[in-house]
Amino acid sequence: MSTSDRKWEALIENLKLSRRDFVFSTLATGALTLTPRLVGAQAAQPYKIGVLLPSTGTGANYMAHCIKGLPVAIAELNKRGGLLGKHQVQMVYRDDETKPDVGARETKSLILNDKVDCMFATYSSAVALAVQEIIHEHKVLHFAATSNSSKITQDNYSPYTYQFCPDSNMQSGAVVVAVSRMATKNKWKSYVSLGQDYEWGRDTHKGFTTGLAKINPEVKEARQMWFKLGETDFNSYITAIMAAKPDFMFGAIAGKDAETFMQQASQMGLFKRVPFPGGLIAVNDLKAQRKTLPRGIIGLARCPFFAHLKEPIMQAYIKRDRAAFGADGYPDDWACMYYDALGGLEQGAKKAGSTSTEAIVKALKGASIDTCRGKRTFRDCSNQLNVPSYVGEVWDSPDYPFPIYKPETMIQVEGNEVWTPTCEDVEKLKKKRA
Amino acid sequence: MQPGWLARHGLTVPVAILMLVLFLLVPLLPGEYWTQVATEILILGLFAMSFNLLYGYMGQISFGHAAFFGVGAYASAMLFTRLKTAGGEIGMLDFFLSLAAGPPVAAVAALIVGFFCVRLTGIYFAMLSLAFGELLFYIVFSWYSFTKGDDGIQGLLPPSFFQDAVNFYYLTLAIVTLALLAMWRITESPFGYIMRTLRDNQRRAAFLGINVRLHMLINFVIAGSFAGLAGALWGPFSRSVNPGLLGWQESGIAVFMTLIGGAGSIVGPLLGSVIYTMLQAVVKMYTVYWPLTIGTIILLIVLFLPGGVLGLVEKRIKARRSGDGDAGSREA
Amino acid sequence: MDIGPYVLQLFSGLSRAMVLFLLSAGLSLIFGVMNILNFAHATLWLLSGYITFSIFTFLSEQLGASPWLLLPAIVGATALMALIGFALERFLIRRTYERDLPEQLLLTFALVLIIGDLIKLVWGVENRRINLGVQPVEMFDTLINPYHFVIVGSGVAVAAGLWFFLHRTRLGKIVRAAVYNRNMVSALGIPIPLIYGLVFAAGVGLAGLAGGVFLPLLPMALGVDHDVIVQCFAVVVIGGFGSMLGTFVASIIVGVVYAFSILFWPDGALAMIFLIVIVVLIWRPWGLFGTELRF
Repeated sequence: MSTSDRKWEALIENLKLSRRDFVFSTLATGALTLTPRLVGAQAAQPYKIGVLLPSTGTGANYMAHCIKGLPVAIAELNKRGGLLGKHQVQMVYRDDETKPDVGARETKSLILNDKVDCMFATYSSAVALAVQEIIHEHKVLHFAATSNSSKITQDNYSPYTYQFCPDSNMQSGAVVVAVSRMATKNKWKSYVSLGQDYEWGRDTHKGFTTGLAKINPEVKEARQMWFKLGETDFNSYITAIMAAKPDFMFGAIAGKDAETFMQQASQMGLFKRVPFPGGLIAVNDLKAQRKTLPRGIIGLARCPFFAHLKEPIMQAYIKRDRAAFGADGYPDDWACMYYDALGGLEQGAKKAGSTSTEAIVKALKGASIDTCRGKRTFRDCSNQLNVPSYVGEVWDSPDYPFPIYKPETMIQVEGNEVWTPTCEDVEKLKKKRA
Repeated sequence: MQPGWLARHGLTVPVAILMLVLFLLVPLLPGEYWTQVATEILILGLFAMSFNLLYGYMGQISFGHAAFFGVGAYASAMLFTRLKTAGGEIGMLDFFLSLAAGPPVAAVAALIVGFFCVRLTGIYFAMLSLAFGELLFYIVFSWYSFTKGDDGIQGLLPPSFFQDAVNFYYLTLAIVTLALLAMWRITESPFGYIMRTLRDNQRRAAFLGINVRLHMLINFVIAGSFAGLAGALWGPFSRSVNPGLLGWQESGIAVFMTLIGGAGSIVGPLLGSVIYTMLQAVVKMYTVYWPLTIGTIILLIVLFLPGGVLGLVEKRIKARRSGDGDAGSREA
Repeated sequence: MDIGPYVLQLFSGLSRAMVLFLLSAGLSLIFGVMNILNFAHATLWLLSGYITFSIFTFLSEQLGASPWLLLPAIVGATALMALIGFALERFLIRRTYERDLPEQLLLTFALVLIIGDLIKLVWGVENRRINLGVQPVEMFDTLINPYHFVIVGSGVAVAAGLWFFLHRTRLGKIVRAAVYNRNMVSALGIPIPLIYGLVFAAGVGLAGLAGGVFLPLLPMALGVDHDVIVQCFAVVVIGGFGSMLGTFVASIIVGVVYAFSILFWPDGALAMIFLIVIVVLIWRPWGLFGTELRF
């Protein structure tokens, strides 16, 4: 057993026994970046991945599983010999603190000092946009698997960026499809919107309102309300929503604000009066809020494991993570998508026959790869992976200690059905890069 | 060196010369990385030095100083975006034009904010500067059509000559050195000594016939302009700007750097920037608990080392030259 | 005209006001008596929320789930926070009394970073929430969360208790005297250091109480303190440093203005609050109820 194998095993042992997972994993990862000098000369040039994800700020609790799960995934890849069977993969982790200038600085540090070959980044779209400036300038591969503003693959397009997460337009599109069915069935006429007052919130809101107006023009938005990020008291918003007596409400709310809103709204009985379809409720939310999440509410997810239980890759992810993190350790949406990014890297290298960035970029262009969501293809013009968005009803399952989406009513909206705009329009949006 | 020289000027000149020499030599280190780190140190050091004009020299603590840093960054970024060609490149002249846009716009902002802030002192000055800082942040964040909101502005790629990290670094070094000299001249002028009087005893200054508010306002605008200059450099350095540059957490960085290096000298904050930035780079390689680290350091400095590193060094030197008159650690 | 929505919005504004008051009362008390602006106030509040969560969860595991377990959890957390406050004053804050204002501010600023990371170290990055299983009640043709009555009740109780303490008890009168002239109080033989220690402990204890009381309404998450501290400052500035009545009235103003601006100008609710703060600081820096003496 080689030194690096032993170190990986020790790391996994640490992860299983220790409560403070990511403290150890970051310390260990830091130490592991020093191991190149210790690894024997028989291995070929190691391949370094810079993982830039927040463990501070609003994104921290979303990325927690991912940050501890990626080293385990990489260890498994390395057991198979690494990329192309000969390049051991090393992970260098940095915290971007959910701040764009920290993200830009850490990306520079990873590229120039740690000499990473590829970046996995990040959680916040604003940070992703700043990171793209750096990776494009230095011609470094960039896999995005959580930050999902459509700007990343369109306005701010870089040929080095590949997106593994359904983008904001695709997600809005999915909600429109689901809500449209409900509106037609229940003869809904009016709705109220509540959104986080920042770019993602505004973008998501616009996507939904324009999309719904096209298919169900008879449904009108009676009111829109916006709140500042970090709002702790939704009482006044909730009373205002109830006073308007809408048929349903639409929410462009994510992160901890979503949890605060859900908790306060359900305690005030809002959802008994006003249906709230399509809020972002990912697997990590289902797990974390299992005691407080109102059942029956319609949520939106990006890569829930229970939607693809038949896929062998998904089964492998579940098995591996539960072995490493305990019976409750099902991987959440974000972890699954970053694992897919790792898988995409492996397959891209194989297709290219090389680990050079230019070769992998060429190999992945418009290519099909195997993911936990089945075989998926990258869109030619934007490098967006054609992946579904999932809308379903929160429901207690006998198979899991936390609620999932009810399988009978869950809808999967394919990416290519809702990825606006057309490739022709995407080309017009792309900004010119020097 | 004459004996009185140290008492009059402290360590400023020797430290500044030493730092300049070291800064000139940085690009000799292998790779591009340290040059990038040094560029960051210089820009944030300039920001911190501009803050110190208000804190060390005038005695007021502003928690909204980053607003001028951010306004300068945005003014520069927005002009940059408009001057760019369709192909995304910017000409050399246009690039310098966009840099030049930072200080004046920041100065105007400082004039407006300062007009109100200088009517107060102490805790009220601190609170009002914080409130204005947050208001400016909120405006930039919300005015999506004008500033692109929390998306930020990307694409700030300098002309190809300055895309080379070393060239950009020397440009930054030149600008920051000139700014430092300018600030030093200002603080060593009669105006600068009026500032010190305002810091030490505002009432007496008023009795001496000094127009307290006017002088505070002038200093406020000067400080804001230099912060705007730092902001203008930050955009092309980072290749993007975002509203976070205006918030109170960013203001905190200037405060920390000044405290660590020492508020008693014009170069103190620059030294603080060196220590803070290097420390951050190293600590973040091994742990995510950077706030705990820097918080503890600030705590220890406030309690045991209020003059910062430079203050400590000065004290030691004075103690060694027994009886040259202890001028205290915050004399400048 | 249907008065229902306006009454409800008023009630929700009052609830928000009491939330703000409970949060800011401790800050106001400490500043009023000791002239220390505790930046870490909201961070201590957050810490208390996490502590209350842990106590509540522990008790629920030992004794079976019941919403009434929140009471001992709150009591425990408040007591613990008061102790922490006392220790902070004794070992850290005390050293800055002779210093300038900026250094005092920086000390508490540093505490924000330190305590914030300590919370992360102990509890991790996951948010913490509890579910009391409270059911909404019907009122004015709509549903409300009865826990808001608890909030409003707590706010009023704390306000009344503080007023009683400061105006009717001997210790309270000593504390008020110390606000005006601590040297005189000291000259009368009363140990100022002990008074300061008790006041700081009480202020932090109040933050602790607020943290516990809010836990059923608000998931505790890292970084919430940053969002909230600015609102606390707003309330204390508007009401006037050193005046508990001012803090109470300012909380009501801010809470109700916020609630109604949601109905009429939702985007600008927070900007409104900033503007009020700026106007107050410019026109009457010592706040609505502060005395010019303090300025």
